[in-house]
Amino acid sequence: MAPAAVTAVNRFGLGARPGELTDAAGDPHGWLLSQLSAGAEVLPDALPDSLDYLRQEGTVRDLRKMAKDSNGDMMAQQAAKDAEKDLRQRIRQEIALRQQVAVVTARSFPERIVRFWSNHFAISTDKNVAASFAAPMEREAIRPHAFGKFADLLVAIETHPGMLLYLDNTQSIGVDSRAGMRARNAPNPKAARRGLNENLAREILELHTLGVNGGYAQADVIEFAKAITGWSLQRPQDASNTGAPFRFNANTHEPGDRRVLGKRYREEGEAQGRAILADLALHPATAQHLSFKLARHFVADQPPSQLVAAMAKAYLASGGDLSTLYSAMVRHPLAWAPTARKFKTPQDFLVSSMRALTLDGQKDAARTLDLQARMGHPVFQPRSPAGFADTAADWSGPDALYKRVQAAQTLADAAPQVASNDPVQMAMRSLGDGMDAETLTAVRRAESPRQGVALLLASPSFQWRA
Amino acid sequence: MALSRRQFLVAGAAASLMGTLPKFALAATSAHDTRMVVVLLRGGLDGLHALPRPGDSDYLRLRGALGEAAIRDAHPIDGGFALHPSLAFASQLYAAKEFLPIVAVAPPYRERSHFEAQDCVENGTQGPGGRSGWMNRCVHELGGSGGLAITAVMPLIMRGNNVATTWSPPLAHAIDPILMQRLQLLYARDPMLGPAFARAGTDEGDKATQAGDKRGHLADALGAAAHFMSATDGPRIAFVEDTGWDTHYNEAGILQRKLFELDSGLQAFKANGDAIWPRTAIVVVTEFGRTAAVNGTNGTDHGTGGMAFLAGGAVNGGRIGGTWPGLANSQLNQQRDLLATSDMRGLFKGVLESHLGVAAAASDARIFPASADVASMRGLTRTA
Repeated sequence: MAPAAVTAVNRFGLGARPGELTDAAGDPHGWLLSQLSAGAEVLPDALPDSLDYLRQEGTVRDLRKMAKDSNGDMMAQQAAKDAEKDLRQRIRQEIALRQQVAVVTARSFPERIVRFWSNHFAISTDKNVAASFAAPMEREAIRPHAFGKFADLLVAIETHPGMLLYLDNTQSIGVDSRAGMRARNAPNPKAARRGLNENLAREILELHTLGVNGGYAQADVIEFAKAITGWSLQRPQDASNTGAPFRFNANTHEPGDRRVLGKRYREEGEAQGRAILADLALHPATAQHLSFKLARHFVADQPPSQLVAAMAKAYLASGGDLSTLYSAMVRHPLAWAPTARKFKTPQDFLVSSMRALTLDGQKDAARTLDLQARMGHPVFQPRSPAGFADTAADWSGPDALYKRVQAAQTLADAAPQVASNDPVQMAMRSLGDGMDAETLTAVRRAESPRQGVALLLASPSFQWRA
Repeated sequence: MALSRRQFLVAGAAASLMGTLPKFALAATSAHDTRMVVVLLRGGLDGLHALPRPGDSDYLRLRGALGEAAIRDAHPIDGGFALHPSLAFASQLYAAKEFLPIVAVAPPYRERSHFEAQDCVENGTQGPGGRSGWMNRCVHELGGSGGLAITAVMPLIMRGNNVATTWSPPLAHAIDPILMQRLQLLYARDPMLGPAFARAGTDEGDKATQAGDKRGHLADALGAAAHFMSATDGPRIAFVEDTGWDTHYNEAGILQRKLFELDSGLQAFKANGDAIWPRTAIVVVTEFGRTAAVNGTNGTDHGTGGMAFLAGGAVNGGRIGGTWPGLANSQLNQQRDLLATSDMRGLFKGVLESHLGVAAAASDARIFPASADVASMRGLTRTA
């Protein structure tokens, strides 16, 4: 097995399923590039869209209010509880489905790319108002746009209810907008306190596009925040509405021209914010930021600057085309250097383990979500809008390694005891040339097949994406 | 109930394995065997809400209803300040002179990015980035006693070349000791993972876990820290972190809960670590303060001057520390937020020197590189 095949399948992809290393061996580059043209898996249409979730949340709120107003009517309380339980259940199911897709897909490079963007545009289900929209945001905004122009991906994200709610933009009101002026004159002091919220604008600049050293100032944050006042959502009770839940609310939009990064943007309502996003997408600092993060995710914690520069150049030359960016990385020799490697995050560890074991059921996927959370990597629950960390030092402490051994043992226990799960064969078909003689010997000498599987999954060789 | 990890380790063959693994070096039990816990509240605690100023007309003007929520039922203390109503245990400590609020303190970083500011709190330098943390460098100066982080993954503040370990509640799955033994041999060959793996599984914390309850993460984490630090061979310094302090929206409600969690955390530490309490200083910090004025969504945005709390039997409390810059428009930083009048490194250095007995030369040059011009705060603790 050529070492390049191991890299294609285990470092660029999500980890070898049986037979994948052989499939990739002839032309590892081609194996990856053909997956790029095919794009990511499309999830079933039957899943509820964000508008459905928005309406369902509205229903839960209404039922809760009815229950509260009903003076302890058991039926009303039960109805509210049931509706909420149903909503949570659907979200859990979608997240389990997503995990299952990662385990079974034959296009694991695009699938890893989708997950990369979900972490780049991190929202956390810790924040209640955004909790229903993390998985739908990946499905609706990232899957369809992660292989086209970054500008389109960016707009899809920043107009998605997940992001608008997570970073408070639905609460932001231009002080001199119609709503802002009305609020100022309102007798109700609560209404008068609503105003501008900088949160989304700041994180777009700092995390989503330019990066923290991208050359913007506090004044740019404020101007940009004003430009995207009015970027909000349909009200759930407007059930006749269809399509995307995004709604531009002219009443809360701060009127006037804006100046961001030295450029003037004329007052054009919603188009003003879109014009700023379009320019940010093609800014050289954005090219650098995205290229660095991608290279750090796929190649090494400290990626070679030559590689990053080549990627950024290809990105800008293509007018911000993401597939061109990924191809530039895959085609660059430094991305295949023998020193390039990544330590698996808990999510990587679990998904690659399940791929090796072909633990393909949706129930298996659902069970591992809890395990992943206890390993410090709860799905869609990063500690901040910066997302989960992406370097070895963040994930390889003593306690984290100990939990990995526990998880390896749990997975080995869950694996069906069939001949195809013979640990020595499994080691060969999942690590190939990445397997060292000592690990193979240890696996061969294991007391039982089960212990051999646990040993393989917990071994240091399996913790690296080589 | 399944066999707990601790019972398993003691009962099984792992008992002999544990003997081969490094433990915390034995620390002498003397009056100088002091303990320090650093608690980092990630997200930027609004100091003006935790420590309101009931009689200050500028405060009332800037804060409106948000300020009123902090003042109503607050616990009055000195200097025109009060402790937020949720800080009931802290106010008892204050009365016992074991609680010391320090106003207008911030790391030397002056931008408003959470992640960079937290880096700066953790790496102990003037800027973000860095690969090692000041608590890890402090481990070296303490001569052997390791550091402990109550986290699932190693935080920057504790990263580096010196002995430090992490702990968080275990998975309910006992490890096959033979598997562990064989893995030890494989990991010993991996230069990057080997040292961490050698310490994996050496810390048992079931007692600490049982002490936790519904009072939030900080009660669990500080309770566990007290448990580990109470052992005679326990770590002298520990790190605890919490998230959820970035209050852009609906701040009064969020901080009412979060400050209660912090208060419960202090209480949990004292309950689990009663024996070491007289020798303990808990240092609660955050990466920056927030805007002086309330924002448009009943919250506050990223600011500069924050606050710190010291708690513990060794703390010289019952007073206000730091220099208060004032809230008049002309006194604010960029007419936006509280001016930072103290460098957080001076606070840390003051605790290290007076409480842990670290030499000033070490804290000036090695733990906080090139910080000789940052004066150590004096008189923070009672120990000489």
